[in-house]
Amino acid sequence: MVMELEYDRSLYGKEHLAGPFDVTTELIQAFTASLSETNPVFIDEAAALAAGYKGLLAPPTFCTVFVSRVKLPDINLDFGKMQVHAGQRVQPRGDIVAGDQVTASSHLKDVYPKTGRSGTMVFVVWETTFRNQHGEVVADVQESFAVKE
Amino acid sequence: MPDFEDVELGDEIGPMETEATDDGVEAFCQVWENRKPNRFTDSESATKVGLPGPIVPGIMAMAIMTRLLTDWAGAGALKDLDVVFRQPVPHHKPLTVTATVTDTRQEDGENLVECDVMLTGAEGERYVGGKAIIALPSSAD
Repeated sequence: MVMELEYDRSLYGKEHLAGPFDVTTELIQAFTASLSETNPVFIDEAAALAAGYKGLLAPPTFCTVFVSRVKLPDINLDFGKMQVHAGQRVQPRGDIVAGDQVTASSHLKDVYPKTGRSGTMVFVVWETTFRNQHGEVVADVQESFAVKE
Repeated sequence: MPDFEDVELGDEIGPMETEATDDGVEAFCQVWENRKPNRFTDSESATKVGLPGPIVPGIMAMAIMTRLLTDWAGAGALKDLDVVFRQPVPHHKPLTVTATVTDTRQEDGENLVECDVMLTGAEGERYVGGKAIIALPSSAD
């Protein structure tokens, strides 16, 4: 049986914007220090330049810290109450380096039910595309939330 | 970093041993600009939502897992990382990141390695699991 979900389908195709966010040396270094990162291109500008990058390189999932700055609308899902962060996907498309400005553009990607041992859950997936100051796509990030009955 | 030709199905990457400290999570949350108090840095907020203590943010766990892959394949090699948060990740516990190669293929002129990645605890807890796609150079290049 196919479950008919009720939610605001008019949200498909609508983009929700945030930014631009300044990617500074300090921000990248604070991110990498919190992770005990040791790769020189992520912590030392000179090493990044020597390796051929245009500046201190941000690690591949760095832009995930900006995803929650996008104000997302309620999709008015007529199901459940409890929502948990179920998963995340990052597809790096280009380098993000110190000095860049990135903008975020999010849209509703998918809403689907899944039935398992612990009952039915509904997954809500948002996709955020990050672009730099040149308009180049630098990353796509998908966030999935599971709504439980 | 390895050449594509050196990688075989079933190869293990890692393990990488690490730990997320209170200070590390606090520093991460400052970059993230997450609202306070929250379940990541505040014990009371964590217990209020039924957690035994503050937890590691999902996106921080993901960044920790990424470190194994960039250490192995280089800073710019990761093409795709898709993870599922299975269990809350606690602070101050030994964390292990491992990956296993599940596929190697050449596609659109790229040499791709696909692997399963897992963030586990000392008692076998499977905190975060997922799949990664990595592009490697070829020995023929």
